[in-house]
Amino acid sequence: MNNLAALSPLLCVVLGALLVLLLEVLFNKENKSYLGYVSLAFLAGGAALCVRSWNKLYSFFNGTLILDNLALFFFLLFSLAGAFIILLSLKYISDQEANHGELYSLLLLALSGMMIMVSSPDLLVIFLGLEVLSVSCYALAGLKRKDEKSAEAALKYFLLGSFASAFLVLGLALLYGAAHSMVISGIIEYFQAGTASKTMGLIGLGLVIVGFAFKIALVPFHMWTPDVYEGAPTPMTAFFSVAPKSAGFAVLLRIFLDFWGASAETEFVFWALWVLSVLTMVVGNLIALRQTNVKRILAYSSIAHAGYMLVAVLAGDQSSLVFYLTAYLFMNVGAFAALIGMSKKGKEYNELEDFAGIGFKYPWIGGTFAVFLISLAGFPPTAGFLAKFYVFSAAVRVGLVPLVVIGVLASLISVFYYLRIVVAMYMREPSPDREVTIDQENPALFLVLFLCLYGVLQLGIFPGNILTIIRMAVSFL
Amino acid sequence: MNFPVLSVVTFLPLAGAILLIFLPAEKKNLLRYAALAFALATFAVSLTLYFNFDATTPLPQFEEKSAWLGYGINYHLGIDGISLYLVLLTTFLLPIVLLSSWTYIEKRIKEYLIFMLLLETGIIGVFVSLNLFLFYVFWEAMLIPMYFLIGVWGGPRRIYATLKFVLMTMFGSLLMLVAIFVLYAYYYRATGIYSFNIFDHYQLILNPGVQAWLFLAFALAFAIKVPMFPFHTWLPDAHVEAPTAGSVILAAVLLKMGTYGFLRFALPLFPDATERFLPLLAVLSLVGIIYGGLMALIQKDVKSLVAYSSVSHMGLIMLAVFALNVEGVEGAIYQMLNHGLSTGALFLIVGILYERAHTRLIKDFGGVSHQMPVFAAFFLVCMLSSVGLPGLNGFVGEVLCLFGVFRVSTLMAILGVTTVILAAAYLLWMYQRVMHGPITNEKIWTFKDMNLREIAYLAPIVIMMFWMGIYPETFLRKMDSSVVHLLNRVKNRQRVFVQEAGPAREKLAVAKPVEAWTQESMAEGTAIKNAVIEVDMITGNWAKKEEKLEAEDKERGENPDE
Repeated sequence: MNNLAALSPLLCVVLGALLVLLLEVLFNKENKSYLGYVSLAFLAGGAALCVRSWNKLYSFFNGTLILDNLALFFFLLFSLAGAFIILLSLKYISDQEANHGELYSLLLLALSGMMIMVSSPDLLVIFLGLEVLSVSCYALAGLKRKDEKSAEAALKYFLLGSFASAFLVLGLALLYGAAHSMVISGIIEYFQAGTASKTMGLIGLGLVIVGFAFKIALVPFHMWTPDVYEGAPTPMTAFFSVAPKSAGFAVLLRIFLDFWGASAETEFVFWALWVLSVLTMVVGNLIALRQTNVKRILAYSSIAHAGYMLVAVLAGDQSSLVFYLTAYLFMNVGAFAALIGMSKKGKEYNELEDFAGIGFKYPWIGGTFAVFLISLAGFPPTAGFLAKFYVFSAAVRVGLVPLVVIGVLASLISVFYYLRIVVAMYMREPSPDREVTIDQENPALFLVLFLCLYGVLQLGIFPGNILTIIRMAVSFL
Repeated sequence: MNFPVLSVVTFLPLAGAILLIFLPAEKKNLLRYAALAFALATFAVSLTLYFNFDATTPLPQFEEKSAWLGYGINYHLGIDGISLYLVLLTTFLLPIVLLSSWTYIEKRIKEYLIFMLLLETGIIGVFVSLNLFLFYVFWEAMLIPMYFLIGVWGGPRRIYATLKFVLMTMFGSLLMLVAIFVLYAYYYRATGIYSFNIFDHYQLILNPGVQAWLFLAFALAFAIKVPMFPFHTWLPDAHVEAPTAGSVILAAVLLKMGTYGFLRFALPLFPDATERFLPLLAVLSLVGIIYGGLMALIQKDVKSLVAYSSVSHMGLIMLAVFALNVEGVEGAIYQMLNHGLSTGALFLIVGILYERAHTRLIKDFGGVSHQMPVFAAFFLVCMLSSVGLPGLNGFVGEVLCLFGVFRVSTLMAILGVTTVILAAAYLLWMYQRVMHGPITNEKIWTFKDMNLREIAYLAPIVIMMFWMGIYPETFLRKMDSSVVHLLNRVKNRQRVFVQEAGPAREKLAVAKPVEAWTQESMAEGTAIKNAVIEVDMITGNWAKKEEKLEAEDKERGENPDE
């Protein structure tokens, strides 16, 4: 159904972004919280519009923007992630010398970019969405203007990101030259039909994959991740680790949904991704072992998780991938929220040594952080276990047993470094020369912590309703 | 019976743990009494399991089943003669260990009690789950409280010990998880039904090559847990570093999860692979028996001596399990309980000594019996129970185990007996050095004998030792039908492949079509949808039934790969 309603959630978020920008200029107050609340209101409005469009299959711009249920589900997921990040930023930005109201505007713009990415079947439109997302992210990474690391993060992200975008555009051009189509279904048809040489198309597709691999940080295209994650303001790191990744995987899911097993070329792509997945799981986890900075540990852990998600793509199982992304949102944002909690005015505690004895000193932050880490490590009865369970089970069902064995062994490695943080929090005594006091006056942070805790446990023990919704969403594909 | 006894037994400790979160941390005695009350209540409820247990049927009893996540993942509990006693052992020991740490744990008592109760829920859950998924959830979830118990309240090398424990256990269990996936996928392919129900999986005969891999994955997970040589290296560390209560639970119950896993999963699910790897496993058990015994002999620390004695005793239990006859398996189950009581008691006794002396080295003791006569008596009984003195529980179990092994192989029985000989050697020697002789350490003059609390928690164990040693019928008869049924399942199915090449082929009208049918559908990768093959392993009848099913438990979904 061609309907302006297809645009409504997107418009709502973009309008919010513009309004926040205007308000910032007009009022220019020292306390920026009100901008956060305005953004939250617009996100809530967008989410409400999404819920109204459920099952309606609105489309616009001659079918280049289609609001199917999967897109709507991702819209809601992104809105939730955005809302969490806004709540986490409220106090953080004034505490950590990043007091710029543009943050909220940029965040909303990034969200609108991701919404474009997940709701279009046209690769060129997807690219547009990706660029909106990326440019906003570059700016967000450099939000602490006076901080060297933050500036480095922004520049690094920008340079490597542009590089990846160039690959992506070149790939798209080659694909278009070969397949004469920019629509995903057209490209798949091209690969499945005929016996003519498809080298050009294959190179094009390869470059597109490389482009996306940069954005979702698959090994060996992950080099930017740790530095950017470490340098960027922590709420933004939480955002980078969750949202663009979800959007990237949403696109991969659409591209590779009907792709496997069609021809020799697709076989080639399959094994290429297989190798990427193994590398990502193994290398991500192995390097994380050596880190002593909790932010960097979480950065490498997020790389490794991309590897598990890729297993789901290879298994061709959409619902397990979407479930994984949902679970990952709660546990990773939760973990970063706890990390943000480890701060006071003008000081953030990110080193592993700072965490010694925190578990008993600040039981709520320590306790919830431990739960999120245990969930990331994949212990039942948390969301992380069930997510891995569904992904690996789906992969075994289609016969990817060696990949799954590598996957579970990689996750065994990850148990070690996640537990290292727990060890520090609960089993080591704080060293006397490192005085760690944190400011706990942050109700928004605790709200996020408890919502994420609730999400992790609900998805781990009684995920019934969410699973039903996810299965409804993917059944439209 | 409509009252969900098993759910109550499983989740009552969890409820206690949740309640404890909201109690103030300063009121230590209130916390202790609350935790003890929950543990005792759980024990009381679990006793009804014993009294209402029907010994005549091998089928799971007190079954509870309800839909959970779909696709074969159900909430499905039940116990039979094998798991009944392990549940009782757990609920029996928990109040005891809580009493034992009454004054010893002062620091962070609230969190300690919470983790203890969570641990109990996890362990009981493992024993009562009849759904593979649910079983795995409890199996893994139980690691977390244990990880904290060792890591926070343990000795000086606690962090190393706890990480080693968690990582080694997880290594095995993750591979087992993959095997569970494979099993699940095969079952779906063969029948078109998603199921994690163990009894459904018992029906499926896999091709021996696949069985071998899956068996190895399961066996590895369980062998690490038992622990069998050479996967035992986590045990001495974890036992020595854990606080007393942790060591008791670890030795008495956690290790039994491994043997239980063999009995419930590895053997009946993969009978042909069991047959194939039997010699290897038996030899590893023997090595464990002798190695554990010899290592125990040379330990300087009482606690690590008891820890190595566990390796030796668990070796005998595994050897008896692999004998695959009624005496062996019943003996193994009985010995699991005995080991739980006697080694648990020994760890408690080491704890009592340590609380007074703050050392566990044998050379620091000597002549303790002069100062602590009551303690000496308790120690003697527990030690002799572990040695296997007739009249005490250990004897019954060891004799049954050795009878079972003897029927299979005389040589193995002879070698297996060394566990008793070595146990007598290291335990009596240790007892002599600690309790008798002149008092060399000045500190010992200040030792006080056991107080009322300590007697209160050791006395029930000692009573059980005598009871189980003098009148084992109380316990054994309720196992019979479950054990016979299990062995039928393992052994009758073995015939399917083992004798196939032999002359008796035509007699195996049972086996042949089942095998052919299974292999055919495996080979083609296509399934005969909505069909289940039912084989009665005892009578040998088989039938391919169309459309049989309780639909609530088996959902047919889309199959993505067909």
